[in-house]
Amino acid sequence: MRPAIAAPVHVVQIGILRCAARLVPARARREWQREWRSELWHVREATACDAADSWDAERKVTAFCLGAFKDALCLRQCTEKKKQPPLTFRGSAAQCLLLLGLVVTACVLLARLLPAVDAETHLSRYAMRPGLILIQNAESGTDSIATITAWKFRLWQSRPQRYFDDLAYYRMARETVSASGGAAGQLRVAHATANLFEVLGLPLLLATPGRAEDSPTPGVLLSEKTWQRVFHGDPRVFGAVVHIGDQVARVSGVVPVGAWRLPGEADAWMLEPDTAVKGTGYVVAHLTPLGQAEMRGSQIQIAASDSDDGDDDLWGVSFGERTRGPLGLYLFTVFLALLSLPAITSVSLGEYSFCAHKPTWSKRLLRWGFLAAKFLLVLAVAYYASVDVAYWRATSYSVAAENLQLLASFLICLFGMRWVLLDQRQRCPVCLRRVTHPAQVGQASRMFLAWNGVELVCTSGHTLLHVPGMPTSWFSTQRWLYLDSSWEFLFASSGAN
Amino acid sequence: MANEPKLSHTAAMILQAIHAGFVYGFGIMEMTGLPSGTVYPAMRRLERDDLIHSQWEKPSIADAEQRPARKYYRLTAAGRETLEASRKRYPLLERLIPTEEAKRV
Repeated sequence: MRPAIAAPVHVVQIGILRCAARLVPARARREWQREWRSELWHVREATACDAADSWDAERKVTAFCLGAFKDALCLRQCTEKKKQPPLTFRGSAAQCLLLLGLVVTACVLLARLLPAVDAETHLSRYAMRPGLILIQNAESGTDSIATITAWKFRLWQSRPQRYFDDLAYYRMARETVSASGGAAGQLRVAHATANLFEVLGLPLLLATPGRAEDSPTPGVLLSEKTWQRVFHGDPRVFGAVVHIGDQVARVSGVVPVGAWRLPGEADAWMLEPDTAVKGTGYVVAHLTPLGQAEMRGSQIQIAASDSDDGDDDLWGVSFGERTRGPLGLYLFTVFLALLSLPAITSVSLGEYSFCAHKPTWSKRLLRWGFLAAKFLLVLAVAYYASVDVAYWRATSYSVAAENLQLLASFLICLFGMRWVLLDQRQRCPVCLRRVTHPAQVGQASRMFLAWNGVELVCTSGHTLLHVPGMPTSWFSTQRWLYLDSSWEFLFASSGAN
Repeated sequence: MANEPKLSHTAAMILQAIHAGFVYGFGIMEMTGLPSGTVYPAMRRLERDDLIHSQWEKPSIADAEQRPARKYYRLTAAGRETLEASRKRYPLLERLIPTEEAKRV
């Protein structure tokens, strides 16, 4: 019969062994603990018989347990002294993350150098007024072709409107522009009604006060790029007279890069009285609350009665798509890529082993953390690389650039995530290094008699990876075999004792 | 012989104890009077140097005796040779821990 003191002291002794076990290398810990627990049992049995009193017995057993620390340290030193195979940087998790980090950095730096990317990514600076639509003829499938005549615009403007409370018009033209200092050359000029920028609600840089109607000379707004390129960013140009075609205008402001998101790329905007605009162009309208309630998604169907030509079928298209910026498009492509991923690769990581040995929780967390880090870096590469590709040549927003970004982002996301999964499947679950030395085992023709596939090994000697040559019902996915200490001699370097 | 490792007196005692039939860690401790913090690390080094070899007892034997299985140690061929050399270096070794045969004589 054991004394009452024995139970709590025994708990303390087990605790000592457990603490000491933390010093033992993980691979040998289980066996070490087994030996010490077994010895402890025998020590307790022997001391219970020999010791004169229970305190003396427990003191001896505890002294025995404290010796476990020295043993554990010795075992640790013995293991560390064994010459480990040199761990090269190549193939390691750190190398993988470093390379991905470098790619992300390069893409971010490139994006910083491209002004159009900067303008696109900081779209919130140039938020347009909500409730704006672009009115287009329903027969025209694209907004790259102007379809509304100035005459119709004036007709609509003269009539009371229930659905619109503001209308503006512009048309694109190539004009010869000359300043007092000499000819500036051919520029893309948008001939617009004077209220265009008020309707759009866009901010202007260095705008001179006063509307075009207040002055007999119409105002002209320069794009920031034109102001820098043609007038070298000279602020004295404001108020100066320029000749646009056969018209005279006064420079009244600068439109910042990225602010203009309507069809047609313009170098200058000539703000004219409503009665002076002509030709075929675009109409921008601001919807009343009643008009906004009639919107179906991003479009609204409009029927305009015309006494001469009959009814016009028109579409009003919201600017939502044009002002959503590259981030919204990117998130959409990530969603598409996630949906498409199972079609091009297995999303399973094939993580199960033959034996009961499993990596510790910390190793598992590290592995999942590594996978998450790779995903995040690949997604960052997809975002920055796609905007770099889209706006490499484009100077501002365009439908073509948006389509290019859509395609590039989708492809990088899809194949990037595929690579992440393939790479993860070939990384040792213990050290996260890529398994190497593939060896073909068996023959495909003898698949039913013997195993057939490829074996890869972790160079640090942690695991062996079996990849079936052909998935079968009994071997459908890859398997990890965790190598115990009995395999160590295979991985010892030539210099090891 | 020149290549044979020179053992400390403690390590030689442990080898001698194993040779004498004390094949468990605690048995060696009892025989030599050395503490656990000395015996077990010394055995790890001897095993590392291939002078002794450890093996787990069969579970059936331990189960029959209703106790946990123990790990026991044996001398390897190299260990026996080293022990012979150590006996010449430490002549009292055999008297401290006599072998079964010596006891019978």
